[in-house]
Amino acid sequence: MTATQPAQAMLDLARATGATSLAVVGTSKNAGKSVVIGALAGALGGAGRPFGLCSIGRDGEAVDALDGARKPRFFLRPGALVALPAALVPRSPALEIFEDTGETSALGRILLGRIRAAGHLEIAGPPSAAALRRVADALRCAAGFVLVDGAVDRLAALRGGADAVVVAVGAASAPTLALAADRAGALVARLRLPLADAHAPALRIPGALTAGDAWDLVLRGESRAVVVPDATHITFGGSTFATLSARLDLRVERRLRPVACTVAPLSRERNFEPGAFARAVAERTGLPTFDVFAATAVGGAFA
Amino acid sequence: MNAALPWSAATAAACGIDRLRQALAPGCGFGRAALSRERVYAAGDEAVARAAAGRVAGVAAEAGAERLGRVRAALAAAPDPQPAAGRARGGEILSDADFFDLMRFDEALRDLAALCAGTSLAVPEPDPALAEALAPGRRPGRSFHLDDAFDDGLRSARDAAAAAQAACDAARSRLAARAAAAAGIATIRDGEFVLMRDAAPATLPPEIRVVREAPTYLLCELALDAEALAAVAARDAAAARVAAVEEGVRARLSAVVAAASAALHGACARLGDLDLLAARAAFAARHAGVVPELDAAGGIALDGARFPPLEELLAEHGRRYVPISFELDGLGVVTGPNMGGKTVALRTLGFTAACAALGVPVPARAARLPLFDEIAWLGIGPGPASARDGAPVADGETGLLSAFGTEVVALRAFLERPARRTLVLVDEFARTTSPREGRALLIALLGTLAERGVAGLVTTHLAGIAAAAGVPHFAAGRLRPLPVTTDGPAAPAASTEGPLALHEALGRIAAAMEYTLVRVTESAAENSDALTLAAALGLDRALLARAATVLGRPSTSSG
Repeated sequence: MTATQPAQAMLDLARATGATSLAVVGTSKNAGKSVVIGALAGALGGAGRPFGLCSIGRDGEAVDALDGARKPRFFLRPGALVALPAALVPRSPALEIFEDTGETSALGRILLGRIRAAGHLEIAGPPSAAALRRVADALRCAAGFVLVDGAVDRLAALRGGADAVVVAVGAASAPTLALAADRAGALVARLRLPLADAHAPALRIPGALTAGDAWDLVLRGESRAVVVPDATHITFGGSTFATLSARLDLRVERRLRPVACTVAPLSRERNFEPGAFARAVAERTGLPTFDVFAATAVGGAFA
Repeated sequence: MNAALPWSAATAAACGIDRLRQALAPGCGFGRAALSRERVYAAGDEAVARAAAGRVAGVAAEAGAERLGRVRAALAAAPDPQPAAGRARGGEILSDADFFDLMRFDEALRDLAALCAGTSLAVPEPDPALAEALAPGRRPGRSFHLDDAFDDGLRSARDAAAAAQAACDAARSRLAARAAAAAGIATIRDGEFVLMRDAAPATLPPEIRVVREAPTYLLCELALDAEALAAVAARDAAAARVAAVEEGVRARLSAVVAAASAALHGACARLGDLDLLAARAAFAARHAGVVPELDAAGGIALDGARFPPLEELLAEHGRRYVPISFELDGLGVVTGPNMGGKTVALRTLGFTAACAALGVPVPARAARLPLFDEIAWLGIGPGPASARDGAPVADGETGLLSAFGTEVVALRAFLERPARRTLVLVDEFARTTSPREGRALLIALLGTLAERGVAGLVTTHLAGIAAAAGVPHFAAGRLRPLPVTTDGPAAPAASTEGPLALHEALGRIAAAMEYTLVRVTESAAENSDALTLAAALGLDRALLARAATVLGRPSTSSG
């Protein structure tokens, strides 16, 4: 597998599901999300395919705003569309600005722009999931395909039927390789919860399902399906999710579509053996797993 | 009372003036800024107020509600260029986002001009110098880009930067290919990459630099050679040249914006006036407003007057609003059955007077009235108890007062204000005290109000008030017999369980009620039809039969 192949393979997996957007979400900070987005943007740009890029938070900084770690900035080539606040519109090379979305963030109004000359830039998105959905829809309208630099708790911003999800798993997410793989497995299982059966007895939870609520249901001997709008409404993960999902019939009204995982085997705290890490994540999630750094793949037709 | 407005919050709530102000509220930032220039007309302003209403009516007729809605939407979508203009005046070099907004503002003015064509709505012209300066950046689809056409040097600088980037990419690719061959791997990605120790050569080629070592692998990146470093330096220099030329263009554009600053502020002020005028015209178009005759010396004459808040509510329930007509010189007393429209008559008059004060056509076929210095609502009326009085009673004190006490405090506050040209609307004052003393108070109040020279209407269920006070008497509503008995089998309309049944009962009452306001002689019967209406609304039949017995009537409440 060559360096560009992991990104291309992930795009192929997304397109095979009919998705018009691909969200990359991380199991923790420093999960390699921005590297994956950069690779996906590079693959799309290299193939001359139009796409838009938007972010849930602020990303693409030269230095991570939260922990000061060095982070790659997005390098985009002509033709790519981006959503970014007015304050982050680069002075040079100049961007073509074509729409004011009407959404605002702490950094100003969110504008849509078209890259006219290759360059690095930072992007940031609106603060709410609903606003992000509108911004992503506007980009989808203009470009046909959207990359979303996402976060698990904001997946509600995506339209279940139209969005594919890549889960980025980093060594920073857990003290051991096995635990990091377990957490990735729990997250993917959550994203893949089965759809509710309209004819079966069900307890519908309109808002969030917390671990406390779920334990109450277990202790009450709840035998009906417990239905939430989508996986983002379940607020617990990891081993808690593994335990509770084994004891409750958790279901969703709207499915998300995880199509692949990526691994970032190195972090400031620890390093995992890349091949073993990718194999463990692939095994626990059942998804093709890519290492963008090493240009390798495990699982599916890509190994 | 708000110092700028001739009515209190309580009066505004009771007379639907809140709803009127809501309908006339600005729909964009320009309009909100213009709100401070909004004029409220008082006694002595008759000519200018009539002219203002005439202008609103003219715009409503020539533009129509639908087009006015589009004008307001275009105003709401137009960006505000004033912050950027202010920064440019302060010497700041503006950003492309600012120029994008300025271009959109220019286009909004052109869109508005097209929308308002053929009407007397005045749209400011775009600043020609600014429009010309921004023109090279205008792209299809109304986007903005600092295009090559802005500066002769831009294209060459950008071409050089693109070539330098390509040279840099090529140098990096050659370096990466050499490094990959030397390391025995297929390709090397941009940025950092991983080499497994067991697959890496014992000695790494000079093109590969280790960033971090792990037990089983190396995190690496390319070590740029002289050729690649030179390419990077050339690329950065070319990018810096592009940035300098781009910034030069922005500086020139910013100077044009600074020069246009005053014109932009003026245009925004005019857009604000346009927004307020369009809101008034839209209201007039929707409610078929008529320009009132504003006669400082004359009385009040309303023909086919309507109260839009109730008219809209009735329409939602499929019911028709019946306009009222009456003439009044000074004070008048209104009596009539419950639910017959007494209070609505007061609210209609208050709403009409407020429209006139705001320079808005009034919802009526024709109207003549003076402008008032104050519109005051007294007594029990619609709305929450706390909003009925308008009296200066602290929140902590309102709970200490009975309904009667609250009325008295409000009346005291009203009478303590200097006598002005006032429209007073008194709704069943003193109805919660003994009828004998309440009657005395009401007759005395009418005398006091007459001495102050105020105009207005006073509703009551008490008999003989108008004759005793020597003022005209109006009867509001007349109930025709309802097919509901207090002792027979349950008729469908007599049940009010659930909102649907209640609306049916109200519909039957409305069908039986003649909503008129006519001047009558004091000898006319003053019947509230309370038993009949209570029966129609489903009150317990046995209770109503007892009430009929007390009144010495047969046990029916059909009229």
